[in-house]
Amino acid sequence: MKTLDIELPQMALLYGLCLLPLLLLRLIGLRLSRDIGISILRMSTQLALVGIYLKMLFDLNHPWLNGLWILVMLLVADLSILRRAGLKARDFALATFTAIAFSVVFSTAYLVVLVIQPAHFYDARYIVPLAGMILGNCLQGNVIALERFYSALRKSENEYETFLMLGATRWEAVRPYFREAVKAAINPTIASMATMGLVSLPGMMTGQILGGSEPWLAVKYQIAIMICIFTSTTFASIINLKLSLNIAFNAFDVLKDEVTEKH
Amino acid sequence: MLPLIRFDQVSVTIHKKMILSGISFALSPGEKAALCGKSGSGKSSILKTLLGLLPVTSGTVYFQELPLTAASIQSIRSGTAYIGQEPMLGTETVREALLLPFQFKTHRYHRPTEAQLIEVLQRLQLPAGILSQPGSRISGGEKQRIALARGLLLGKKLYLLDEVTSALDAESKAVVLEVFSDPDLTVLSVAHDPEWLERCGVIFELEAGRLTRAAHHENT
Repeated sequence: MKTLDIELPQMALLYGLCLLPLLLLRLIGLRLSRDIGISILRMSTQLALVGIYLKMLFDLNHPWLNGLWILVMLLVADLSILRRAGLKARDFALATFTAIAFSVVFSTAYLVVLVIQPAHFYDARYIVPLAGMILGNCLQGNVIALERFYSALRKSENEYETFLMLGATRWEAVRPYFREAVKAAINPTIASMATMGLVSLPGMMTGQILGGSEPWLAVKYQIAIMICIFTSTTFASIINLKLSLNIAFNAFDVLKDEVTEKH
Repeated sequence: MLPLIRFDQVSVTIHKKMILSGISFALSPGEKAALCGKSGSGKSSILKTLLGLLPVTSGTVYFQELPLTAASIQSIRSGTAYIGQEPMLGTETVREALLLPFQFKTHRYHRPTEAQLIEVLQRLQLPAGILSQPGSRISGGEKQRIALARGLLLGKKLYLLDEVTSALDAESKAVVLEVFSDPDLTVLSVAHDPEWLERCGVIFELEAGRLTRAAHHENT
């Protein structure tokens, strides 16, 4: 089955649909037209550019070019994680990059090389969208892990110092906050796995079905991607937090003031 | 006798603000000392500096003649008990609070028995029944004494007490003062309580981060 194309006049019709909620928002006194307009414009431009690039990537299907694309995605994700977690990129960029690069490359390679086994392991049609999905979820998890960990430590500085005073090593003293942060990072993925298919059809599965795949094939790919997302988010959040400990504390185990963006 | 702690011209500056300046003093084993002065004069900062919580800008802090460094901080903390004004119990029940330090590698093999827990509670006039109570249900004074009991269970060489009698009633305070007057314990305290000051061998007065006077008591 071939997916039906959406021609330009139909696309215009689609944009026209936005006028209805805009009108409704104006009626209740919410003046968001400008913000919504900018968002729709940005979405359309960004996706158009990605479409052009992906088309080129798929046509060339060169291993180095595919690798470069993944590297760019990792770098953008690295900076995005730190900005959203409120940590200084100058100090933590390498630690976060190491954590997400290892976790995403490992999970994607496992899935593509051992499970899917395409003719070429570097096939852009597999590694680019799969790595992108894994990375996107990994990004969310790492923002939660870092933000939760450092805000809990700041909030409970007295308690943390009490643990140190009672003879705890740095690792023993941060462990309660570390566990909570990892739990918060992987909880959305666990909850998502538990309700998958009940609450809504997952995006990737929907995409595959619309693309002409058999539902069973779509289900298997969805299970594969969820397991890889869970694996990479767990790996990345643990590695990232662990590496950050060497940066965020001084030699006397005191949390440095200057690691967060507000300092 | 070698001093247990020694500050040698110690200065601490944080964000260009002088916290301590040229502090020098020594404390021998068994000695009791009090740090006095107005709020912000640097009393608590001296205790925190000894524990590595504030960075030494110049000078050296010694614990058993071992200079305070990143390599020695763990053993210094392991030989010291710090009890603050508002102690954190850090757990659900009083029993868990008392046993908390014994989860850590340093103290793992020195876990006290039930009899030892009850004995230390009795020394501070706390009932054995308090062990199963949640930390959130006990009064400030009881919390203070539980933190002190936890320190005593660890059998440390040096006790750093920061205004620990402030939340105690007269009876509890008398008990605490008696316990820490033990000649085997070395105590460096931040205190204004006249009864405790009387028991101290030396009183250091601080003003704007400087040690302005050291008064020695002959009778202690």
